[in-house]
Amino acid sequence: MDIPREIVANLIRATTDVFETMVLKRIDLIDPAKEIPPRAGSQVAATVGFTGHRCGAVVFHAGADVAREIAGALLAMPAAEVNGEMADAIGEVTNMIAGTLRTRMASLEPAWAIAVPTVTIGSDFVTRYATDAARVLCAFDMEGQGIQVELILNRQ
Amino acid sequence: MRFLIVDDSSTMRRIIINTLNKLGHKDCYEAANGREGLERLAAATVDMIITDWNMPEMTGVEFIRAVRASESTRGLPVLMVTTNAAQDDIVEAMRAGVNNYVVKPFTPDTIREKIESALEG
Ligand SMILES: [Mg+2]
Repeated sequence: MDIPREIVANLIRATTDVFETMVLKRIDLIDPAKEIPPRAGSQVAATVGFTGHRCGAVVFHAGADVAREIAGALLAMPAAEVNGEMADAIGEVTNMIAGTLRTRMASLEPAWAIAVPTVTIGSDFVTRYATDAARVLCAFDMEGQGIQVELILNRQ
Repeated sequence: MRFLIVDDSSTMRRIIINTLNKLGHKDCYEAANGREGLERLAAATVDMIITDWNMPEMTGVEFIRAVRASESTRGLPVLMVTTNAAQDDIVEAMRAGVNNYVVKPFTPDTIREKIESALEG
């Protein structure tokens, strides 16, 4: 199962919108890859599931330092002072990306129902997916640092 | 003026409160979902509600319906801040009793203008 092109295009637009409007950082798309590269640097993963007309999840991946920088930018505080706020901030960034994607897709098809975010922080986790799920990973450069947004669509 | 900010994200509550503080409004209550919001309203009076939509336990729309159903809170101005911006979402929120709508992601200017216009009535 392939992920429809307009969903990927809207995911990229949604991510760019959230970063440029609220994080106030420019991000540039590196490559929407079908082959999922290893994510050695991913220490923070935030997931927002959705169901309804389509079923799946938006997952945001970043290293801990990048995640702290994003949280600091959102909260208008120095990244070095960010601690407990990081998980919630990355969860909300992911919520905004998934929600904006949902709104954009709602002009083309019935609106999805989206869940509240869950955030995983660690260093050695592997996520496995159902074999019949389709995935696309969009990698972005944020002022020299990497962030990734993944879309998972389950077969229905 | 006293505000009630209802959002499951502490980050979003902080962003909204920072904006209110810059506008000179320092008196803000917080709640993490609609149920907590109703508890707050039962214990204290506020002049305006700013609420998210997608929250666990009780959503923003369920919360606003409860606010509009209660004698003491029926007339409060309500600003909804959400990513839900499909045509049907806006209709549903307006039917529930939302006065003003801010779509996330928002710029500082947008949220400031919407708060100011909601306060003007
Ligand atoms: Mg929320």
